[in-house]
Amino acid sequence: MNSFVLNSIRFVLFALFQALILNNLEPGLGLYVMIYPLFIFMLPFQMGTVPLMLLSFAFGLVIDSFSNTFGLHASSAVIMAFFRPIIFKWLSPRDGYESVESVNVYSMGGRWFLYAYGSLLLIHHIWFFTIESFKLNEFIWILIKIGLSVPSSFLLSLLVQFIFVSNKKAVR
Amino acid sequence: MRNLIAFFKRFQIFLVFVLLQVAALSAYIRYSEFARLQVFSSASQINGRLFEMRNSVAKHFNLEGTNRKLELENARLREKLKLSNYKIDRELIQIEDTNYQQQYLYMAASVINNTYDKRNNYMTIDIGKNHGIQKGWGVISSKGVVGIVHLVGESYSVVKTILSKNINVDVSMRDGGAFGLLKWDGINPKICQISGISNDISIKKFTKVITRGGSGIYPKGIPVGVITKRKSIEGKPLWDLQVRIAEDFRTIQHVYVIKNVMLDELRELEGKIPPDKEEDEL
Repeated sequence: MNSFVLNSIRFVLFALFQALILNNLEPGLGLYVMIYPLFIFMLPFQMGTVPLMLLSFAFGLVIDSFSNTFGLHASSAVIMAFFRPIIFKWLSPRDGYESVESVNVYSMGGRWFLYAYGSLLLIHHIWFFTIESFKLNEFIWILIKIGLSVPSSFLLSLLVQFIFVSNKKAVR
Repeated sequence: MRNLIAFFKRFQIFLVFVLLQVAALSAYIRYSEFARLQVFSSASQINGRLFEMRNSVAKHFNLEGTNRKLELENARLREKLKLSNYKIDRELIQIEDTNYQQQYLYMAASVINNTYDKRNNYMTIDIGKNHGIQKGWGVISSKGVVGIVHLVGESYSVVKTILSKNINVDVSMRDGGAFGLLKWDGINPKICQISGISNDISIKKFTKVITRGGSGIYPKGIPVGVITKRKSIEGKPLWDLQVRIAEDFRTIQHVYVIKNVMLDELRELEGKIPPDKEEDEL
């Protein structure tokens, strides 16, 4: 499928999934499951950092508009987009990313996904929860929030990939 | 000049990054208003419609509980309807009319989206500018205080609930009358804090907390909650009071928006108080 069409569909689906389902899931202890970072993560490799950040900003604003956070999600999405190329460069395989078409668990392997997505998610969540409360005396509470939310967001993203991304390697 | 262009080209990515961060964060920390337009919130038409669709599905799961709550409230209101029980002379009614002028008007609304687990929690309700709602009006439910209208759209509005930073509802004890400000530390959506009560005032556990009605947003006597814990702050002559709030924000579905008819008069009068000179010098 055309990459533009595919990503447009993803844009809408991820935003709706986050806004209508995950934003209402509030099990307590500040646990906040976020799926939308996966959209930014799964954008094509070839995209430059500047268009990536602009797209993430727009996407974050859409999420903001659903959760009444006025720019908080946009800021977190932009910081994730900014660090994506840096993390990718660190973790680049021996022969680079040229032969890879899409960013997912199957094309890159589980270990790479864990390191790359895990660290980006961590950056994103740290930024999000720190800016959200922005008070030093809530430090431990912020740590609890991050510690609970990062693994759950990661597991959900993994699950979404297993269910919805087709395993192209096996087909070939 | 060439150096300058080369500089911009080299740091292009970082500059765009900084620009976007400034745009997003300034909106979040209230320096600019661009993301606070109602288009970017759940008060906008599209988002409101979407949430309403979701709510029309989700509300059926709580139907039984909601029914019971409304039945209880109906029963309570029926008890107050003395006119339907006794026959009262016409003169008495006239006396009541001249003695009491209605100050607070209520409008019912249903909650179509709300959160209780974030640092600042907002609620979207299904009435807006078309129904005459204005920013700053109080919102209560049948159980107690809910929040303050924060953004107003054409037919939806966003309410900032008491589970927020700097909400500062002025509350007082039902017995004794000591008053302070209601705050929330962001941890437990059932527990709020009251600050500003001096610790030489004796306050018992399980004292009922009600609104003070000082700022004219809520009438006096709306229930807020019950004191559950009390200890004194170290180094300050103040109580640290924990309040179990009356409203359960996890199941809230119906609220009332309050209009104070005399709010303008109150504000005008309080605006005439001369400002504190000592604070200006500091």
